[in-house]
Amino acid sequence: MRNRRFFVLALATLLASMATAHAQQSFTATANEVNKKMVKLFGAGGFKGLASYGTGIMVSPKGHILTCNNHILSSSDLRVHVYDGRFYRAKVIFREPELDVAVAKIDDDVDFLPHIDFEKEAARPLAEPGDWVLAMSNCFQIATRDEPMSVQRGVISAYAELRGRRGIFDAAFQGDVYFIDAIACNPGAAGGVLANRKGDLLGILGRELKNTLTDTWINYAIPIQAAVDLQREEKLEKVSMATFVREAIAGTYKQSEKRKKEDRGGYHGIVLVPNVIGATPPYIEEVVPGSPAAQAGLRPDDLIVYVDGEIIPSIKMFRELMRQVGPGAEVRMEVQRANRLHSVKLKLTEQPKVQASK
Amino acid sequence: MKKTLLLLGFLLLLGPVAAQEIALKQQAERVAAIQKVKPAVVAVFARGGQGGGTGVLISDDGYALTNFHVVQPTGPTMQCGLADGVLYDAVLVGQDKVGDVALIKLLPKKEGAKFPFAVLGDSDVVREGDWSIAMGNPFLLATDFTPTVTFGLVSGVHRYQYPAGTILEYTDCIQIDTSINPGNSGGPLFNMKGELIGINGRGSFDKRGRVNSGVGYAISINQIKNFMGHLHAGLDADHASLGALVTTQSEKTGFGKTSVTSILEDSDVFRRGMDLDDELLSFAGRHVTSVNHYKNVLGLYPRGWRVPLEFRREQNRKEILVRLMGAQRKTLDEQGRPQDDGPRPVPQPQPKPGEPFPQPGDQPKPKLPLKKQPIAPKGPPSPAAKYYEAKAGFANYYFNRLERERLLKAYQKHGDFSALDGDWTLEGGVRLKKLRSESRVKLDVVSEKAGESSKFVIKLKIDEFPYALEPLKSGLEPAALKAPETSGGLLSAVYLYRLLLTQSDKAFTECYHGGFEPFYPPAADGKTPTSVAALRVDCEVLNTRHGPYLTKWFFSRVDQKLLGFEVRLTDNEDPCEVFLSDYRPVDGRLLPHRLQVMYADGHYGTFNFTNFSLAK
Repeated sequence: MRNRRFFVLALATLLASMATAHAQQSFTATANEVNKKMVKLFGAGGFKGLASYGTGIMVSPKGHILTCNNHILSSSDLRVHVYDGRFYRAKVIFREPELDVAVAKIDDDVDFLPHIDFEKEAARPLAEPGDWVLAMSNCFQIATRDEPMSVQRGVISAYAELRGRRGIFDAAFQGDVYFIDAIACNPGAAGGVLANRKGDLLGILGRELKNTLTDTWINYAIPIQAAVDLQREEKLEKVSMATFVREAIAGTYKQSEKRKKEDRGGYHGIVLVPNVIGATPPYIEEVVPGSPAAQAGLRPDDLIVYVDGEIIPSIKMFRELMRQVGPGAEVRMEVQRANRLHSVKLKLTEQPKVQASK
Repeated sequence: MKKTLLLLGFLLLLGPVAAQEIALKQQAERVAAIQKVKPAVVAVFARGGQGGGTGVLISDDGYALTNFHVVQPTGPTMQCGLADGVLYDAVLVGQDKVGDVALIKLLPKKEGAKFPFAVLGDSDVVREGDWSIAMGNPFLLATDFTPTVTFGLVSGVHRYQYPAGTILEYTDCIQIDTSINPGNSGGPLFNMKGELIGINGRGSFDKRGRVNSGVGYAISINQIKNFMGHLHAGLDADHASLGALVTTQSEKTGFGKTSVTSILEDSDVFRRGMDLDDELLSFAGRHVTSVNHYKNVLGLYPRGWRVPLEFRREQNRKEILVRLMGAQRKTLDEQGRPQDDGPRPVPQPQPKPGEPFPQPGDQPKPKLPLKKQPIAPKGPPSPAAKYYEAKAGFANYYFNRLERERLLKAYQKHGDFSALDGDWTLEGGVRLKKLRSESRVKLDVVSEKAGESSKFVIKLKIDEFPYALEPLKSGLEPAALKAPETSGGLLSAVYLYRLLLTQSDKAFTECYHGGFEPFYPPAADGKTPTSVAALRVDCEVLNTRHGPYLTKWFFSRVDQKLLGFEVRLTDNEDPCEVFLSDYRPVDGRLLPHRLQVMYADGHYGTFNFTNFSLAK
C-alpha cells in the first residue's frame, strides 16, 4: 500500500515535470540533436537569383543524403559539410522529380555518420494543422563547416494540396503538403527539416515559391509520408518517399518515366476552385487576365459542364482532358452561369514562361 | 486500494492542470519581463520627426544604444520618444560604423532626473533554440512611442554576416526568427529575463523585400561591451584586422585547416612570429575551425587591442599576444567607396549578406548609402547642440574631453605631483634579463641650464654603466631615442612618465581618451601562465603625443591607478612597454616601486626602487 502510494506520487511528479518541459522551453537540445543529422550542400547556382547552396538530411551511416531535387544538384562538384565541420564530395545517385526529392551519396567510404532512420520516421502518422513545429535549414548560407543550421519555430497552418501551376507557381511536387506560418522557405532552405518539438522528422522543407498573381510567398514542407502514382514499366505504381529512400540506399530504385512535356497541354488560364473532395465540380475560381479564358469571356463562378461535347463531372476529369489538348487547338466549352448555359470557344496557347521570381 | 485508485485518478488529472498553471506562470513572467524593460525602449527620430529607428537606454543618466545607420541620417542631434509618451532631445556620443552601433545621450527634462534603463546580459550564454523578445517601433506604428513587442526563437548564434555595402559588417551576431522590420533598427533584443543581449539591425531579405523574412540579426551585446569605452569617449571607433589573410582548406580527414595564406610584414602578428602556412588554432581564446569563426572573433575587437592567438607550425604550438591593426579604410570617396584599401584582406566568395533595414519612409534604395546627407533640422538649434563638438576622428569630441577630464581627475587622487617640477632621483636595484644577479640602479631626471634656456636630461646608471638622453634634442636618430638598446626606449619612457605626473594633459600636444583596452602585466612572481589571457586586466586608455613620442597609458578601470604605458615613435613598430606595480606612498603620494620593462618579445629588466627624491 505504502509502495503503491509512493509510486503514485512519483508518477504525479513525473507528470508535473513533463508539463514544465512543455511550457516555453528552450529548443537548444532538440536543435542540436537534429542538426547532427543535417548537412550543408554546395553545388550549382549563383546566377539568376538561384542559390548555389542548399540543405540535406543524412539518411544512412554511409552518407546517403536526402534533399530537394533542385538545381544545385546539377553540378559535377557537389560538396557537403557535415555538422562537425567535415567536408566531403558527393554525387547524386537517384532523383524522383514527382516527389521533388533526390538522394546523393558522399564519395568516401564511411559507416559512422549520424543519420535519421527514415522508414521509422515515415511510419508515424501525419501531423495536423495547429501542431507546433521547428524548421531547420541552411537558409541564406548563413552557416558553413561546423556552424549549426538556422532554427525557426512555427505552426502547421494547413495540410492541403500544393496547387502548383505553371505561370502562377512552379511547384515540382503536386500533392498534399504542410503549409507553415514560419518564413522557412528562403534561399537554400529546400531539403531542410520540418520537425516537431521533440525533433521527430515531419517533412522536407520545400522550395522558394511565389504566387506571381498575388506577389505572396508560401512556406511549405513535403510530408515524409508523401506518395505519388508513377508510371513504371507500363504500370501505375504508388511510390512513397520511404520506398524511394530505401531503394535509393539499396541502389535498386527504378526511375519513373519522365512526364512528357505535351502532357501539360495548351494554356487556357482557368483557375479552378480547390480540389477538396474526389469529385469536386469544376467551378472557376479565377480567370487569368489576358489569357484565352479571359478572351473567351469566362468568369469566376462559372461551372464547366461540357468540353467539346463531353460532360465534365469533376476537376480531375477536366484536368485530364485538357492535358491532352495542345497549344493552338480550339476547344468548345459550355459553362453554367446563374441558370443559363453559355457556349464559348477557347484557343489554347503555349504555356507561359515561368516567371523568374525576384 | 480504492483510495489509491482514486488518488491516482486525481493525480492524473493534475498533470494537465499543472501544465496549464505553469504555462500561465510563464506567461505572467514574460509579461512582467516586458513591462520591466518597456520604459527603457527609445524611439529615435531626426529632429522634425523624419526617419525613425529604435534605441534602448542602458544607464539612468540617459545613455542609449542604437544602430549607426539610424543616427547617420539624423546628424549629431536627434529626438527620442520614450514609452511614457515624452519626447526628449538627444545628442550623438560615440559611433562604431563597421559594427553599426551608436551611443546617444538623452537630455533629462529636469537636471539630474533619472531615466529607466535595461540591464546588459551576457550574449555568450545565448543558444540557438532559446526564446527572445524584440522591442521597437516597426513601421513607426506607435505615434505615442509605445514599443511593439515581438517574440521568437534564437535561430543561431555566433553568426557571421559579410559586409553590406562597403564596411558595415555583422560579426558574431545573434540570428533570430523574432520578427524585426524597418523601424526596429537599433532596438533591443532581450532574453526572457529582460536582459539586453543584442541590438537588432539587419536581416536577410534576398527576393522578399525589406521586411521580416524570418531571418533577422542582432549585434551581440558582448561585442558592444568591448566598444563601450570607445563609445562613451565620443570616438569614431575602428574595428580590427590581423594583418594576415587566413583561409580554410580541407585536409584528408575532411576537417578544415585554417592557415595563413598571406601576411603583412609590418603587422604585429608577423613581428610576433606568425608566418605563411602557419595553422591558426585559437584566437582570443576561441577555437578557430573556419574563416567565419576567425572573422567572428576579429569583429569583436576595436583596433589596437591585444588578444592572445595560438598557432601551429609543424608540430609546435605557440601562443602569442597580438596587437590588432585597424580595419576601416581611412577615406571614402563621393560614392562611399574606399580610396585607401587598407590592410583588410579581401573576403572570399561571398554569400548574399544580410542587409540593414532602411528607415521607414525612405525611398527603396538598392544599398545603404554611406554618405547620407543629414536631414536638415528645421527651427531653432537643438538644446542638445551645446553637447556636440566636431573634430576629425571623433563622433563627438565633447564627450572625449569629459571622459579625459574624469579619468585624469580620478588618477590625480593617487597623488598630486604638479608642484614637484624640479630634479628627480630614483635609486634601487634592477634585475636585467641578461644578468643573473641584481645590479644597483640610479635614475635622474634633471633640468640643465644651457645658456638662456634649460633642457631635460635623463640619466640612468646601472652599476657602472651610464646611459643618458636629451629626449627633445633635435636631429637624434630613432635608435638614440630608444636607449638603452633592447629596452625599446626606457629613458624616453621615464621622461614621459614624469611629464604626465607633473603636468598632466597640459604636457601633451595631443591627449585623448582611447576607450577601454585589455592590458597584460607580467605576473608578480615572474612565472609565465599557461595562457596570457590569465594576465588580462581591463583598463581605460589615454593616448598622447609629445615631440616624437606616441604614448598609450593604461589606467585600471577599478581605481584609475596607472598600471603601465607604452612608448613608440611610429604606429608599425614595437613599443617600449613599462609596467608599474608595488604602489606605496612617498611623502603622501602613491608611487610605483616596481617597474618592469618589456620590448618586442623580450623582458628587458625589473627595477625595484627604494629611494625617491623629488624636488620642487
